[in-house]
Amino acid sequence: MKDQIEAIQAEALARIEAAADARALEDARVAVLGKKGTLTEVSAGMRDVPKEDKAAVGALLNTARSAITAALETKQLALQDAADKKALEGIDLTLPARALHHGSLHPLTILRHQAISILRRMGFALAEGPEIEDEFHCFDALNTPADHPARNEKDTFYFDSGKLLRTHTSSVQVRTMESQVPPVRIIAPGSAYRRDEIDATHLSVFNQLEGLYVDTDVSLGDLKGTLEYFFQEMFGSSTEVRFRPHFFPFTEPSFEIDVKLHVKGQAPRWVEVAGCGMVDPAVFEQINGSRKDGAYDPEKVTGFAFGMGLDRLAMIRWGLKDIRLLIENDARFLKQFA
Amino acid sequence: MNVSLNWLATHVDLKGKSPEELDRLLTFAGVEVEGIEVKGVVSDKIVVAQIMEAVQHPNADKLKVTKVDAGEGTLRQIVCGAKNYKVGDKVPCCLPGANLGSFTIGETTMRGVESKGMLAAASEIGLVDAEDGLMILPANAPIGKPVKELFHGDVLLEVEVTPNRPDLLSHYGMAREMATLLEVPLAPLEIPERHGLTGKGVKIEASDACPFYTAVRISGVKIAPSPAWLQERLESIGLRPINNVVDITNFVLHEIGQPLHAFDAAKVSGALVIRAANAGEQFLALDGQTYPLLEEDCVISDESGSALALGGVMGGADSGVTDGTTEILLESAYFTPSRIRRTSRRTALSSDSSYRFERGVNPDNVLAGSALAVKLITEIAGGTAEEVTMKAGEEPVLTQSVTLDTTKLDQLTGGSIPHHEATTILKRLGLSLSSNGSWYVPPFRADLQRHIDLVEEIVRVKGLDAVPSRLRGTFVPSSSVDAAYDADMRIRERLAALGFHECQTIKLISDAQVGDALPLKPLLPGDTIRVSLPLSEDHAVMRPSIVPGLVASAARNVRQGTKALRLFEIGRVFRNAGGGKAKDLEADSLAILLSGPALPTGWARPEAAADLYDLKAIIAALVPTAAVQLVPRQRDGFALGCDIQAGGQNLGTFAMLLPSRQRELDAEGPIFVAELDLPKLRKFVAGSKDIADLPQFPGSSRDVALEAPAALANTELEKVLAKVKEPLLTGFECFDVFRDETGAKLAADRKSIAYRMHYRAPDRTLKTEEIDAAHKVVVEALTSGLKLTQR
Repeated sequence: MKDQIEAIQAEALARIEAAADARALEDARVAVLGKKGTLTEVSAGMRDVPKEDKAAVGALLNTARSAITAALETKQLALQDAADKKALEGIDLTLPARALHHGSLHPLTILRHQAISILRRMGFALAEGPEIEDEFHCFDALNTPADHPARNEKDTFYFDSGKLLRTHTSSVQVRTMESQVPPVRIIAPGSAYRRDEIDATHLSVFNQLEGLYVDTDVSLGDLKGTLEYFFQEMFGSSTEVRFRPHFFPFTEPSFEIDVKLHVKGQAPRWVEVAGCGMVDPAVFEQINGSRKDGAYDPEKVTGFAFGMGLDRLAMIRWGLKDIRLLIENDARFLKQFA
Repeated sequence: MNVSLNWLATHVDLKGKSPEELDRLLTFAGVEVEGIEVKGVVSDKIVVAQIMEAVQHPNADKLKVTKVDAGEGTLRQIVCGAKNYKVGDKVPCCLPGANLGSFTIGETTMRGVESKGMLAAASEIGLVDAEDGLMILPANAPIGKPVKELFHGDVLLEVEVTPNRPDLLSHYGMAREMATLLEVPLAPLEIPERHGLTGKGVKIEASDACPFYTAVRISGVKIAPSPAWLQERLESIGLRPINNVVDITNFVLHEIGQPLHAFDAAKVSGALVIRAANAGEQFLALDGQTYPLLEEDCVISDESGSALALGGVMGGADSGVTDGTTEILLESAYFTPSRIRRTSRRTALSSDSSYRFERGVNPDNVLAGSALAVKLITEIAGGTAEEVTMKAGEEPVLTQSVTLDTTKLDQLTGGSIPHHEATTILKRLGLSLSSNGSWYVPPFRADLQRHIDLVEEIVRVKGLDAVPSRLRGTFVPSSSVDAAYDADMRIRERLAALGFHECQTIKLISDAQVGDALPLKPLLPGDTIRVSLPLSEDHAVMRPSIVPGLVASAARNVRQGTKALRLFEIGRVFRNAGGGKAKDLEADSLAILLSGPALPTGWARPEAAADLYDLKAIIAALVPTAAVQLVPRQRDGFALGCDIQAGGQNLGTFAMLLPSRQRELDAEGPIFVAELDLPKLRKFVAGSKDIADLPQFPGSSRDVALEAPAALANTELEKVLAKVKEPLLTGFECFDVFRDETGAKLAADRKSIAYRMHYRAPDRTLKTEEIDAAHKVVVEALTSGLKLTQR
């Protein structure tokens, strides 16, 4: 019997080893350990084993069963392993993807969002106003003389009603001060319109971002600090920012802001990016006139305002040679912003 | 405006200042320098040389080999292609090392012959070509002398003066500013004295347009070309010399900023009368054009009544100085800026004079300019000026004393500019401190009217660099615009993630494009808003909807061969309502356009065109907390027009472009569009406030297939399911719709709809019998309510 057990074990191990797949392995298991399996049948013969041999034969049987079970498990893992490997064989990782549509935000949205995020970090809240404006909010309240060139119908779109398309987002300054008392700390992104023929550098409808801060002690230092910080966040912390004196009817003193642009392969150059200044007391007087409560007494409050053209910033940021790319919506252009 | 540095140098010492330094100086004083042009010879290595020999180049037909004497002791061999010279001529010779701007001359070999320098044409060394070929210098030009010593170079600055600084619109004004900024002396302007004024000979009838008018009669003048120095002055700033008298008036204008006009006295009958134009009066200007005038215009006429000049803007065709003129009336006046501006704009007639009058000239210069011109005319053109100046009106006083509030100065500058420095700056600018502490403003600075104007000057001259930056600010609450912006960004980002490109289209569209509009409420006649004076008919109407812009963008992309049209835009739309009863309404809107493959096709995915259910899915993704329903509503100019409903409200409009319109655009497949009410949509992307607990017990589902008339709208089933009184029903979904056009498996006018119903109780695991009973209730509600049969 001892010999028989050893023979069964040897044959079983050999068959397990030879099993080529899960099916052959299962057949081998049934043939040895199944109800009518060879080892099962030998085990049944234990009854007839003399008492004094029982322990030794029993031990031998257990050894054989353990060895076969272990071999089965090992072989099963090996077969599974081989099957797993085979399943992954021959996969061509270099085939192109099963593609999805990639969308994109418009470059102006990307730029505007960056600008708004920086200014919000500095505590500015958003404000808005109508694009179809009246002369008071677009010009009169902003200290623009009645015969100022910008008010000409060759430069500004008017409607038969006498209203006009706002020529700048500065009208939102007026609207906000009419409805809020100081402190006011707002930014207003939006469209503005000028009667310019559309060409590589001009749009008749363009995008601006306006800012206004009015409180009891707003100074030139605040204006400078705020806008230096803003443009260094926009263009990089080492960006040089300079303020050139300029003239706007609604600020005094007024400045234009340049940043030094570094483009690979080109000499660094100053580019104009914004206009700004301290709110002219005449503007506060106009606001008081329409509020009738003196909340913007120029003896008590001061403020600064700034405005920038986002289309222009986009052209600078991405080196665009034609501003019309921003309104043509050519998918070949837009997908570059995905 | 063009500024000649040579001209400036007659008033202020600019020695040692490079054009770049002056550029920087002016830029930081608020004068934009738009261009710098260096004129004339600049290099020392361009010298006078005499051509001693010229022989044919052995290897080139068109070249000669010359030997020139450049005063170096030995002759220099230079190969030259010019033909206009003869041996013995003196010409400019560029020695090796001479910098000609874009390149530097070196020693070279041309076709095998050594050439040590270059013989130059005038234009090659920054001068004006007088002949074709080399510049032939005067025979007495000393050999070896740098050519720059024979010809004056100049630097021309092209500057942009802001409208508040008319005092800078002359060389003396610009020199005064530079002297202030550089802290160097300004040469005093020498104005010859004239004595006596008379009220005779000039008469003002339009004192609001012209408060002050003067004229001087000069007899016996001889009209001739100007002397070289005067011609050179005018040419240096790009003006064409005409004759001595006209050139002098132009010179005075550019010298001190006072426009003048010279009439031929023979063409004037009686006194000069400054009057308002008559409505309908025609004026023939010296540009040869006839201009119809209005009463708001001011004309200079005479006692015959005919208009001799359009006051402050342009002279008449028949009253000006000609070669035959012997007696002139020299006008110098002050015109009201707003009146000149209005006339100039309306007639589109602009001159150096109107440019200055509409910005405001210095009233003090009326008599000074006149005196200066009288002196120059009598010196240059001869003749005798009448002793007295004819005068009407009074010199306007435009300036007043202004007080500088140092407390406010300190507040604005953070105390960074010491008061004594502020005082010094104002004094340098020509202001003077009166005994009562206020500042006297000189007449040329009428822009300085208020305290803040003085602050502006102090900061401008001192420079903002002196004011330290401050990083701080008041905290303010966020606004409803902030919330709307955040919601819009979420919508934008979601659509971009769903494979859509954000667009920006022009808000002014054409009448034809209005046909593509898909506004929430249809447009009645009178509901579109048109600008009065469009640039072109393509951009004449404020868009009442964003869809027309997206359709135009789609068409453009089709032409470029783009297959997948997935576009959206967020922005304002504009309209009237009720046929124009409510005016100028502005609303925020979202439009989406979809056409082309539903997903990109390729080796792993067959082509499948996007259809309306794809766009419906996109809208559903924007409204995740409510079911989206498309409720048919006919839209003119579109197919499949629907209202988009969700959460019990109308969110927008959905449609397909008519196939005929799609073919017009050359698009291959159907184009679906939707326009949504952005304020309503924002509420859906704000996120859900009420978060449900997760179920504690498992649920089960049962399927049902129903046979229905093919025409039955699916929404009818969902309406029944929404109302069915079965508390265990927690959800359902349509998972199959089957039709057989052949009628083999199902009658062609019938369809099979399969739904999966989900059942669950919150407090226990359902037993099979409970589920079956609940399913029976649901199925019966569908079959009996809609007369469907279960399959």
